[in-house]
Amino acid sequence: MNFKRDIPSRTYSGFALSALFILTIFNILLESGVSKTQRAGDALLALSGKEGVANAVTSVVVYFRGFDTLGEIAVLFIAALGIGLMLHGDRRTEHEESNYILQKASKLLFPMIMLFGVYVMVYGHLSPGGGFQGGVIIASGILLLLISDGSFEVPHAVISVLETFAGISYVLIGLIGLLVLDKFLGNFLPNDVAQMGRLFSGGIIPLVYIVVGIKVGSEMSMIVQNLIQRSDDD
Amino acid sequence: MSSIYFVALPLLFGFATPLLKRFGKNGVAYASTAMQAALFLLALNLAATSSWAVEVISINPPLGISFILNGASLFFVLLFMLLMLLFSLYYLGLRKEEPFPDENKFFILLNMLLASSIGLVLSSDIFNIYVFFEIAGISAYILSAYRKTPKALEAGLKYLLTGMVASAFLLFGIALIYIHLGSLNLAVLSGSFHTLPFNMKLLIGLLLFVGFGFKVEIFPLNFWVTDVYEGADPLIDSLFSSIVVKAYLFVFFHILYLFMPASPFAPFLLLAGAVSMLAAEIIALKQTNLKRVFAYSSLGQVGLIFAVLSLESRMAVEAGFFIVFAHSVAKMAIFLSLTSVIHAHKSEEISTLKTLNSPMITVTFIFSMLSLLGIPLFAGFVGKFLALKSFASSGEFLVLGIVLFASLVESIYYFKIAGNLFGKGERGAKLRLAPSQKAVFSILILLLVAVGTMPWLYSGFLHNASAAMVDTATYANLLTGGLK
Amino acid sequence: MMIESLFDYFNQGYVIQSLVDTGSMILFFIGFFGLLTQRHIIKIFMSISVMEIAVFLFFIGNIFDVKFTAPILGDGHDAFVSMNDPIPHAMILTAIVIGMAVFALGVSFAIEYYKLTGKTNINDISEMGER
Repeated sequence: MNFKRDIPSRTYSGFALSALFILTIFNILLESGVSKTQRAGDALLALSGKEGVANAVTSVVVYFRGFDTLGEIAVLFIAALGIGLMLHGDRRTEHEESNYILQKASKLLFPMIMLFGVYVMVYGHLSPGGGFQGGVIIASGILLLLISDGSFEVPHAVISVLETFAGISYVLIGLIGLLVLDKFLGNFLPNDVAQMGRLFSGGIIPLVYIVVGIKVGSEMSMIVQNLIQRSDDD
Repeated sequence: MSSIYFVALPLLFGFATPLLKRFGKNGVAYASTAMQAALFLLALNLAATSSWAVEVISINPPLGISFILNGASLFFVLLFMLLMLLFSLYYLGLRKEEPFPDENKFFILLNMLLASSIGLVLSSDIFNIYVFFEIAGISAYILSAYRKTPKALEAGLKYLLTGMVASAFLLFGIALIYIHLGSLNLAVLSGSFHTLPFNMKLLIGLLLFVGFGFKVEIFPLNFWVTDVYEGADPLIDSLFSSIVVKAYLFVFFHILYLFMPASPFAPFLLLAGAVSMLAAEIIALKQTNLKRVFAYSSLGQVGLIFAVLSLESRMAVEAGFFIVFAHSVAKMAIFLSLTSVIHAHKSEEISTLKTLNSPMITVTFIFSMLSLLGIPLFAGFVGKFLALKSFASSGEFLVLGIVLFASLVESIYYFKIAGNLFGKGERGAKLRLAPSQKAVFSILILLLVAVGTMPWLYSGFLHNASAAMVDTATYANLLTGGLK
Repeated sequence: MMIESLFDYFNQGYVIQSLVDTGSMILFFIGFFGLLTQRHIIKIFMSISVMEIAVFLFFIGNIFDVKFTAPILGDGHDAFVSMNDPIPHAMILTAIVIGMAVFALGVSFAIEYYKLTGKTNINDISEMGER
């Protein structure tokens, strides 16, 4: 067997160019030394304790930088919209019958995956996890069902209602914060430090994360279904 | 009256659109236009007060995100709301005959584009700016590929690829900024950016230049622009050239003024802008596709704005803002007219203008082109005159010469297009325009002529805007003082 | 004893930083090289994605302080002291989701384009050009 093949000249020039570029960056980075500046994150870490939330990353994602999270779910929403726009209406009618083990095992695993996803979503402010992580787990459960059962379709009306409700409630929570506290996305629900570690702590933070989880789960399910090209409607 | 509403309301509308579908097939269109009209009135209301306003989100700055409303951002907010409202009114007329397929999705994307453009102008946190870049970008990618023809999909793919590369570099720059300076707030960063060693400043500057440069359409990085404009629907091109690229320009120069005022890099930026304008105008000469020729014209004007704003003096910024206003209004008029022409004639070549039979569109074309050239009595004249004056007073005579030569080249192909409009020959059927479309064209022409003949009515407003843009000291104190 | 001194050596700031910088720059190089030389559109998307991942690795690695722990209470930690910075984690979460969303969108454009024209080579995707 002959493994030699023609390497086009653009590969050499590409290699040289990118090596030059990366080595320059690398040189500058190594010159800079270890940086030990006082960072904004340390101050936020101290503030997070006052919000009564055990997971500092959650309080940063949902509350201190909650506006970025709002923007991020807007991006996910628009991406799901675009994928639905591009790929809808192409129903692949013939599909192979999947493996026997896959069929039986997925029916066993699916409720457990969904339960785990909901758990990760709801406990996001107490342990590592949160809305995005839980939503993606739920979508992976749906993907399992889509792969194992050729005729399964995610019910479009339910997903659409869930997604709309979740999106509207995120912005409404922000606007209520604006009206009550004069700060968009301010924390207007009770958040005593004494409650830290319990399920109902941290004010709006678990609420917002659950809303984010519902939206991410429903959107990822729609994206996955569109990419497998099973959808008949957008 | 908070400036959050400009971003929160279109976002809310976008999320709630599947619900509004239930109010009949006209519900979404009219609701969207009504909301944009309300926001425009809010912007006019805010324009009456001229002080700086800080809108806090979640927690006080500098640890949290905030929106800063000063003269400069207010100018852009007003401009974007006005243009988007006119666009919606035009579309209400267009949809009676030829609505976009899947119209509800179109309105969601439109409102997301509006929210993110305004968010870019108002935000004071560099990562928040990155998120708004992504929202604007993803809406723009889908809008350019909306028709799903091979050309449109190619436009969407090219836009998306360059956008992804730009985001990767921008994120690298933001990561370096946070690692070495420890904050994401623009005011805090403006105070501490100069403490970095020169190599790190150069690296961060280059990364941010590449990251922003793709979007700002500056010379080596604007190879994608004309293909995207040609593949997308001309209705969408009007949004791109009059709203989206202006928001990106504002962010680029805002960050430049805050981080590196009076830097040794400014002459390179000046030259890049001038070369960008010259190259675009020269290549425009041999184009025969209407969308493409006006895309090159857009590139040229954006290069001019880039060159003027890199002078960093208050007069230069005022000149830049005048050109921004004139260019946005003129390009919106041109591309909306092109939409009517292309939909009626089904052809995109310049020669199709020979059969155009519509006095309103002909007048719109002529007035817009005269304004873009900088002929006196039109809005473009004030901007170009102030720009040339700024170049001269900074001693940049080479750039002055390049800009004048490029304007000469521009006039050549504008006269060629105008010749097609007035040529003798068989005229086609009369192009019918809906009443709202006629109203939109009249308002756009009126704006061009009014600002051109009576610039003193607006120069006070733009004086405040340009002063606010270069006033980085007040900006820094405003946020680190921790208002509210 | 030797294991402990080895750990102590690696736990010094500049050693970890150099390792992270080297690794993430190699990854960035792979992504950039792919971006410049690959012709299949999905491979170009993957190269850009690898570049983004390199930036994430670089970012988290440089903020990471080895002696500190994750910023979550529980398991014996009662207060937010000597914990790592939570802001990069939040930023990277956002950036990962955004990168994934744009990638999925790009793949759907490429699929639709392929269905219409059958082309995947970026050199062939040039219906428009200078006339």
